[in-house]
Amino acid sequence: MRPIIGITTYVEDATWGVWRDLPTTLVPHDYAAAVSLAGGRPVLIPPEEDTDVLRVLDGLVLAGGSDLGPEMYGQEPGPHTVVRPERDKAESRLVRAALDRDVPVLGICRGMQLLTVAAGGSLHQHLPDLLGHEKHRPAPGVYGEHDARFEPGSRIAELMGDDLAIRCFHHQGVDDPGTLTVTGRAEDGLPEAVEDPGRRFVLGVQWHPEVVRDRRLFGALVAAATDEI
Amino acid sequence: MRRPLIGMTAYAQQVQYGSNDLMAGMLPMTYIRAVHAVGGRAVLITPDEPGTDVIESLDGIVFSGGGDIDPAYWGAERHPETEIDKERDESELLLMKAAIEADLPMLGVCRGMQVMAVAGGGTLHQHLPDVLGNDRHRGAPGTDPLAAGAAAYGRHDVRVQPGSRSHEMLGEFLTVNSFHHQAVDDPGSFTAVGWCPDDKVIEIIEDPALTYAVGVQWHPERTNDLRVFSRLVEAAARRSGGGSTWAPVKGAGREEPLAV
Repeated sequence: MRPIIGITTYVEDATWGVWRDLPTTLVPHDYAAAVSLAGGRPVLIPPEEDTDVLRVLDGLVLAGGSDLGPEMYGQEPGPHTVVRPERDKAESRLVRAALDRDVPVLGICRGMQLLTVAAGGSLHQHLPDLLGHEKHRPAPGVYGEHDARFEPGSRIAELMGDDLAIRCFHHQGVDDPGTLTVTGRAEDGLPEAVEDPGRRFVLGVQWHPEVVRDRRLFGALVAAATDEI
Repeated sequence: MRRPLIGMTAYAQQVQYGSNDLMAGMLPMTYIRAVHAVGGRAVLITPDEPGTDVIESLDGIVFSGGGDIDPAYWGAERHPETEIDKERDESELLLMKAAIEADLPMLGVCRGMQVMAVAGGGTLHQHLPDVLGNDRHRGAPGTDPLAAGAAAYGRHDVRVQPGSRSHEMLGEFLTVNSFHHQAVDDPGSFTAVGWCPDDKVIEIIEDPALTYAVGVQWHPERTNDLRVFSRLVEAAARRSGGGSTWAPVKGAGREEPLAV
């Protein structure tokens, strides 16, 4: 039996076929495909306050999406911050319960930011204000391509090897990593990877490895989840 | 107290939301809310690949609505109005057979009921207007045919066979919504126990030999009548140990995925 990997989801008004603007739970199919390809069995987790679902999960992917509510790290929302409070509430509980149980967690984009906030850290609410450039989100639907620098000896450095190319799409970023360790940065110094070396597998990346079905990262999550079984 | 875990088959579908247009694993929230409203915990099963091992972690399963099933599965030519979803067909037929084998409590909704019939060796009518001469079973998308003053299209009665399990659950008559252009012809290993009295279209199938295996042609998740979901979650709770203990899920009874 393959390890079961939960993937958190959005709730948005979606349109498809003859249906218009129906409240729908969804997540880009890339996430499920990346988990399958790496040997895991994906299940999608609709936002819900109950964390009981963890009893069947061997691993967890915190998917990308809207901005986290800044009240979670003690700030007022800025003008560019777009939030989904219901999802924040459900995912915060889920990630804390997963960390308590030491379930392997891969946080992607918003998911990395959620790991950071759960570890007591904070975010920059709009990077162009801080960095003066839009390289982390060049245009709608266009990924910013960078080479990242990884901390020698870290998990992410080991996983990425010599191929340092990352594709990101975000306008917020990690400021204070809390109790996590920053193990990767962009050329401009922005944190691109965080880890918790004290747990079996807690890795957050600011970029989107699911888009290229990156077996290095998803494979490592599935391997950690397999140990769980 | 833990809630029984109910898998729900999801679409993999091109969707638009906000400024996004992408392939997503997705399911309308009406389904999720229906399961949560009656005490279950929903997770979505995407049609990625044909493995069925996820069945072992579930307490119950819902086969959701969606597109048409490829008529090749029951040896028929494809009707011009038939729009198939190959990935979901393969994945859901495998899951259905494994779920029947495991006697996992199951509910089929619309397409899900049709998947039950086909998995059980049955057949479908591919386009009801050809059979009935009208399209009354297909309500307009986005409407609620059960709302006061709604058009009669997409709403009808169902008569339930006395003595059936569904009769015990639903009584002899109910009024339902209707959003389909295909229907079960031969229910295969299942038993037809509910019909639209006007045209004899099959509306409910069940297998009384299984713990809970019911398929309905309408969309209960879009109504306040969630009895078919309640019974599913009750059966799932019994399977998972009454809802008050931790079931020995991990490592229990693991098998290789069924070959079909």
